[in-house]
Amino acid sequence: MKILNVLVRIETLKTVKRRAFWVAVGVFAAINTSVAVDNVRTARRFPDFSHALPESWPRVLSGLTSPAGFFIAVLIILLVAPEFSWRTGRQNVIDGLSKERLYAGKVMLLAGLVALFVATVLLIGIGGILFSPSEGGPEIIRSTDFSYLAGLTLNLLFFGSAGLMLATLIRSAGPAMGVLFLYFLVEGAIVGLIERAGETATRITEYFPVNISDDLGDDLALYPEVLASVNADRAERGLAPLEFLDVEVLVAAVLAYSTIFLLISFLSMRRRDL
Amino acid sequence: MPIIETRELTKRYGTRPEKSVLAVDRVSFAVEEGQVFGFLGPNGSGKTTTIGMLVGIINPTGGSFRLFGASDAKGLLAARSRVGATLETPNFYPYMRGRDNLRVAAAIKGVGRSRIEECLELVGLADRARHRFSTYSLGMKQRLALAATMLSDPELIILDEPANGLDPQGMREIREIIRILAGRGKTIFLSSHLLWEVERTCTHVAIVRRGRIVAQGTVDEVVSEGTSALLRAEDEDALAAALEDCPEVTSVRRTDDGIIVGLRGGDLAGVNGYLVGKGIHLSYLAPHRQSLEEVFIDLTRGDFESMTEIAS
Repeated sequence: MKILNVLVRIETLKTVKRRAFWVAVGVFAAINTSVAVDNVRTARRFPDFSHALPESWPRVLSGLTSPAGFFIAVLIILLVAPEFSWRTGRQNVIDGLSKERLYAGKVMLLAGLVALFVATVLLIGIGGILFSPSEGGPEIIRSTDFSYLAGLTLNLLFFGSAGLMLATLIRSAGPAMGVLFLYFLVEGAIVGLIERAGETATRITEYFPVNISDDLGDDLALYPEVLASVNADRAERGLAPLEFLDVEVLVAAVLAYSTIFLLISFLSMRRRDL
Repeated sequence: MPIIETRELTKRYGTRPEKSVLAVDRVSFAVEEGQVFGFLGPNGSGKTTTIGMLVGIINPTGGSFRLFGASDAKGLLAARSRVGATLETPNFYPYMRGRDNLRVAAAIKGVGRSRIEECLELVGLADRARHRFSTYSLGMKQRLALAATMLSDPELIILDEPANGLDPQGMREIREIIRILAGRGKTIFLSSHLLWEVERTCTHVAIVRRGRIVAQGTVDEVVSEGTSALLRAEDEDALAAALEDCPEVTSVRRTDDGIIVGLRGGDLAGVNGYLVGKGIHLSYLAPHRQSLEEVFIDLTRGDFESMTEIAS
């Protein structure tokens, strides 16, 4: 218990003193604020546009979709990789932390950042709704909203653990971010190529890391009634219906990827010299 | 019980035999409580790697070591809380103030804030502690590293090249701090290039070359191991040439003062008799006490010669 307290203290101190952290959180909060303000304005201008809970949960939680994951991956790289290039992680171990504890501190940092991002989105999103003229329903939150929030939180952990893996493997912030950007491009290109090969091959691409994480972050995968309405609209226009893997499968796959990323970064930290 | 004890400690970088580098080769030594132990060697001889293994940042590939008698992972983690160490350049968060950097180290070591102020005072950084580490001069960085090392009042202090890059005043300050710590009965493990300083500060030394220990013991033992003599003659060229073939002589070095030779058995009469046989009559022959620096250069001669060849 004492060591957890120590890890929280040192990781907090290292993080809050870092300008990059405040810039990233500030930009993230600003983006969410502008979306919230836009929603309230629209609700005031157009009475048909309902911006109230629980209907607006997907809109509130949209702040946690892909860009947030990308933000968190970049932030984790910026906060973790310099521990190697500045050799401060090495000094932490010399001062008495084991490599395993140093790593545990980084996982706690990841968990803390995810909690901070979720709290920021909830605070700004719900805060915006307080200024909206729309009338809400009898309940504030539904079970599907909880599921969506949990899925998006899991998604942030997925991106953060990918960032942690790149930071501990590459040990330099610039190249690690480069690989992250590159991966997005490469996966997109590979998916494009495979999709030309036919439907069976396309099914495989659904399990690719970024694809599966995108699906888990898509409100259509979590809200069946919204999906049904979208598909009805698509049917009217002669388009094929949208399909998603079961939520359980999406959760299991994202969890599996996150575990693999964390395991790789743990082994790298443990086996390599500092 | 030795504070540090290594047995055949080995570190090899790389797995392919043809490409791997043997950085530390079966190094064995022991440091007893209260010793000021100098760990000497040219650049790239394996000093920092050896220390890195002791403090847990480098995984050994062979051999073993004990810290305060502990050799298992859990015991070593506990033993390391009794160690204060700094390796090579001081490693701190550049964006944080000096005091905040010590707060990180203090939290890890389980030390209170009052001790941070004491250590800042001891190294003369109390006035600059509110400034960012990135604004510090190298001397101030070294002093902050020393302050971090002393935070938990450790029983063993490991310093790797603490005077690196310092001006004479900075070196003097570091030497004074080491003396104060040694005076308090701390065990100090000091890796340094400053042989004159080491000779004055250390009680024991080990000299390492290409990953292997080539001499170790008390400073007196290591210095006296290199028995040598100073010789002069009218024709010093002829004297030097004759000494090269003398079976009693292990090394020949020309100096402004005459020729210093390393002796195999310390037999000055034997050397004199050999030279008379070669028709050389000495004008001066006397035992010569080598400095630690001379012993060091003799023992690591190959490394220096290759450096001079590259330079020329």
